Amino acid sequence: MIRFRRQFIIGMLALVAATIGVLWLHCKFHRLLPDYSFLTGWGLFASMLVLTFYNARKKLSFLPLGNSELWLQIHIYLGFFTVVLFAVHLNFRLPQGWFDWILATLFALVSASGVVGLFLSRFLPRRLATRGGEVLFEKIPALRHALRDEAEELSVGPDAKSPVVGEFYTRRLASFLSAPQNTWRHLVESRRFLNALLAEVEDLRRTGSESERTALDKLAVLIRQKDTLDYHRALQLALKIWLFVHIPLTYGLLIFTAAHIVFVFGFSGGAR
Amino acid sequence: MNGPLPGPDFDAQNYARPNQNWTCGHACEGAPCRLGPDDKGRCRATAECKPLLETKPGETKGRWRCTRPGGACEAGPLPDGSCCRPISKCSPRPTLRLIRGRLTLATVVFSVATLLIVLGHGAWRNRFINPGPVSLAHSGAAFAALALTNHLNQNCGACHAAGNSGPNGMLHASLHANPGIFDIKGLVLAKTAEPNAIDEACEKCHVAKNFHQANAAPISCSFCHAEHHGKVMASTTDLNCDFCHADSAKMAVSRSTPVIHHFAEDHPEFRFISEKMCDADTLKFNHALHLTGTTIPKLPGGEKLDCAFCHRPDSAGAFMRPVQFEQHCRVCHSLQFDPETPQLMLPHGSAEFVSAYLRSLPKQYLDLGAKEDPATANAFAERKLAGLRSQFGSGEQLERRVFFSTATYGPQAQIGSLSGNTRAIFPGCVYCHEVKESPTGTPQITKPLIPERWLSHAKFNHAKHANISCEQCHDAVHSRETVDIILPAKETCEACHSPRGGVANSCAECHTFHNTREVRNVQ
Repeated sequence: MIRFRRQFIIGMLALVAATIGVLWLHCKFHRLLPDYSFLTGWGLFASMLVLTFYNARKKLSFLPLGNSELWLQIHIYLGFFTVVLFAVHLNFRLPQGWFDWILATLFALVSASGVVGLFLSRFLPRRLATRGGEVLFEKIPALRHALRDEAEELSVGPDAKSPVVGEFYTRRLASFLSAPQNTWRHLVESRRFLNALLAEVEDLRRTGSESERTALDKLAVLIRQKDTLDYHRALQLALKIWLFVHIPLTYGLLIFTAAHIVFVFGFSGGAR
Repeated sequence: MNGPLPGPDFDAQNYARPNQNWTCGHACEGAPCRLGPDDKGRCRATAECKPLLETKPGETKGRWRCTRPGGACEAGPLPDGSCCRPISKCSPRPTLRLIRGRLTLATVVFSVATLLIVLGHGAWRNRFINPGPVSLAHSGAAFAALALTNHLNQNCGACHAAGNSGPNGMLHASLHANPGIFDIKGLVLAKTAEPNAIDEACEKCHVAKNFHQANAAPISCSFCHAEHHGKVMASTTDLNCDFCHADSAKMAVSRSTPVIHHFAEDHPEFRFISEKMCDADTLKFNHALHLTGTTIPKLPGGEKLDCAFCHRPDSAGAFMRPVQFEQHCRVCHSLQFDPETPQLMLPHGSAEFVSAYLRSLPKQYLDLGAKEDPATANAFAERKLAGLRSQFGSGEQLERRVFFSTATYGPQAQIGSLSGNTRAIFPGCVYCHEVKESPTGTPQITKPLIPERWLSHAKFNHAKHANISCEQCHDAVHSRETVDIILPAKETCEACHSPRGGVANSCAECHTFHNTREVRNVQ
């Protein structure tokens, strides 16, 4: 924790210092240098390339390019600094043309998805640690399958003798156990569905026979395990799904940025 | 330690392959195969084991042995050496990693395709890459007509060479830009306001730069006139002016203009004050008397004489129309010379006309008498002329009195037959004008010179100042001499036009950079 706090303080100090520095340079040079926006543009593009290289760095793990944790810290703080550079490059004005709007929107989406990803990666692991231990995302389908088999064996298997439990399984549990459920509810930490299901089990248990009570107690355990599995799936999916916005749009942004560079040079200096 | 290192705690049997593109279709059942799918997503499942042929010494055929992980099966390999327990083929499922990769690829393809399609279509291209609305001056109907006569492209190509071409042309133009696309040093060292190729495009229509000073350094048009910022071209800021006017080195060539940063800071006092200039007009006019004098009569409508009676704005409201004698002065100064005959008034505007009129008085009286009673017209005229002769002696004396009398009260001032110390109705031309003797006979009246614009290097709009009274800027109530230039000092303007006053105070509020606005029209 101390190490993380030290990294955070160093990163924030560097970010604030860099921001103040670039704003000072902006005030000093944005009227003085005629090609100021070209220079801020190159700075912004270089910054974007470094940020993109973080993805490549993960694939080039054999190269001695520093550890991944360092690269992640650079990616986070440079990402925030790039937003400042972007505002400076736009001279704190909104774009007006179609192309510029698309470019700015792509940048905003990539930045926003990055911030969302940072938020998720900081808070969701804490929530995951509070429920059910460690579950590998790739193993979840197999675990769910095993739970369903076990519940099926209890309820409608050859040894099951209670029609009440069988009917309850068929009516309420079969669909619940066969697929992921309540993704959004888990993300917002709602247990309403689980509590409702357990209340139904409790109702049946109150009027059931001894053997039915035993079966229902086991089913209640399986229901809780399945709910925990769904909880892990929902949160781990959220930890992965933001990258489906962040990474594809990053490459789209780079392509539009390259086109932007061609346009600005072609239409200003290129006219000479 | 020569032996192999102990392996990590890794369940290779149930490896989930999260960093590969495909995962076994049986994984969701908790029973993925050991091999897993290949790179193309094809199932590689064959059988539970690959039997091994064991040949003992002396045997020729040997025996197939089951190699199934977890123990040999009961049936064992088939006689041909194949496993007796084939694994059912699965439909491998793409991992999240592969789905994300496909989405990324689709985004890249979509982006490139969109750019190529839009840039390849002439009509879409210009609209798509336009960074902002072009000003009406360069996009309206007038520009279209001018572009037609000047053989210009009406689109981006009118100003940008790259605007006439597609993606290839744009790429070519960007690679041959100056400073170059990777010439960071050139970008850093570029000189501010240096003319560039866009200026050449400007000069296709605009006559070569027409600066306010002939010795001004050449400046790029786009330094002051930033395009693509809306339908109205962005206004010039003080920083544009300060580029020269705040630079002592540049202003060294100017003999009269000092270094100026801002109107409220170091703009010099207006020259008519600092150089104590005087109004050179020969017309005698006392503003204070007309505005505050107790002897000034009321206007015909009963109102008191004020500034607005004589100083009327022009149609645009920016400046004041010239004061006209007939409209503004004659209502009080009627130029009557015979109080008993108010119908007859001297003409205004020419000494010759006045002289001729006085010499035609017999005819004037005769015509007037004929209008009233033709039968007594001659007697009427004789009576009037006799009255004038008895008072002045001769026509020459009357004429001298008309031109040169300065008295406003008393018998000397009287021109007509009124007696007593009464106010003169017409004191004489010299009362207002400079009248000189002339060898030709008729005195010469110096023509008044009243400039329509006093500060010719500045622009002003009276209409925008309608909410303040005239006296706040023009100290007319204390001006008794014609030589007074009743314009406000810089301090008066600065009270409002300064950061302190909060009203617009940029250079361009009053000054224009170019001498004239000329547009080339090539037929």
